[in-house]
Amino acid sequence: MTFTAERYASRGDTVAFVVCIVLAVIARISPPEVTEPIAATIRGTVLAPLLGLQEFATDQKNSRLRYSTILLERDSLAIIALFQDALREENDRLRALVELRSRVPVEHVPAEVLHQSLPTDGLSLVLSAGSRQGVTPLSAVIVPEGLVGVVRSVDANSSVAVFWAHPEFRASAMALDGSLYGNVEPHSGRGLGVQVLELTGVRFGEDIAAGTPIYTSGLGGVYPRGVPLGEILGVASERAGWERTYLVRPAVHPASVSHVIILLDPAADLRAVFADSADQ
Amino acid sequence: MRLSAGAAKMTAVVVLLLLLHFALGPWLGDRRTGPDLLLLGLMVYAMRTSPGRAAVAGFALGLMGDSITVVGFGSGAIAHTCVGYLVAWGRAIFFTDNLIVSAGFFVGGTWFRDLLLLASGGYLWGGALVWQLVFWSLVKGVTTALVGVAVLFVFREWLNVRMSE
Repeated sequence: MTFTAERYASRGDTVAFVVCIVLAVIARISPPEVTEPIAATIRGTVLAPLLGLQEFATDQKNSRLRYSTILLERDSLAIIALFQDALREENDRLRALVELRSRVPVEHVPAEVLHQSLPTDGLSLVLSAGSRQGVTPLSAVIVPEGLVGVVRSVDANSSVAVFWAHPEFRASAMALDGSLYGNVEPHSGRGLGVQVLELTGVRFGEDIAAGTPIYTSGLGGVYPRGVPLGEILGVASERAGWERTYLVRPAVHPASVSHVIILLDPAADLRAVFADSADQ
Repeated sequence: MRLSAGAAKMTAVVVLLLLLHFALGPWLGDRRTGPDLLLLGLMVYAMRTSPGRAAVAGFALGLMGDSITVVGFGSGAIAHTCVGYLVAWGRAIFFTDNLIVSAGFFVGGTWFRDLLLLASGGYLWGGALVWQLVFWSLVKGVTTALVGVAVLFVFREWLNVRMSE
């Protein structure tokens, strides 16, 4: 690689060089009162657009940095907020549970739900309380929202309860004022995947409005009286002149249950307890 | 005064380097080690013009730098005037047709500019001055030379750079 070189220093070049050096030296030894106006003039004229260009470039770089920083902070906050929602929800649930415990007038045991990574987790619950804590089979399991299910089997320090979605779940139900009675069971008894209950055995002449809350009636001696089961969604089917079946939206969803109360006395009447909760 | 086509192209390259110096400044990394595109523009110009014109260009460029750095006004003018003149004059003495020699000019010019600037400005003394000249100025010279070689390669047609030996 070669350049085409043909320049050589002449007397004029030397003169130009000497003049420039002399001027530069004069500038160097001049006091600031002399040089500063010159510098300001250069900054305000020749350099102004170039400094503006540099300022723009710096702004662009800082904007990119700030954007990246903001993105990172936003992602971090989103993650924190995600967990905070879950924590707040659990906190609220625990607080409600504690309040319920203070109001429940019968002997009971608090327990933690040990969720399992099985597809049947929505049908049964493993609870962290067993016979040593006084839990017996057929003990009712409740949360502040209502009835969860019933204890099926008991070990020393744990127990297994069936959820309302279990095909074998049955509960005697009523309206809070006792104006109607029926039986609640999983809709069509389909088990896993059931999202609603159905209220069967309601006399044909009794028309129940949507949104009417349904409670356990206490008949049968398993569930205490007055625990919410859900609220009426609408008519599911009817046998002309004989009975109607209503769909009931459950008060409790399996996935939302983390802590429960196991009632040790099925003869209790909890209508006042949950009526207070509804009022609050 | 009308510029020839070759002079116009060379001026365009120098102006481009001038603009890039300010536009890319924030992205060129540490100021102590990043390439000095202003000085590179001066040296590219000096290699293509007479020593007198190179000295005047260096003087103007130095004053621009001095007006930004308000301490030691005139020291940049001295340094850049000398570098511009010597680079243009040196081409008559050294065999600068080789790309590696050109790179050497860029490294040496950068280092010498720093030496003159620091000496005439009285910015640094003692160990700091030695460290600046032995390390930072050499690194800056190398990065400036790398960019300079790239510029010569990219604009070889405009700058009449012949790629054959």
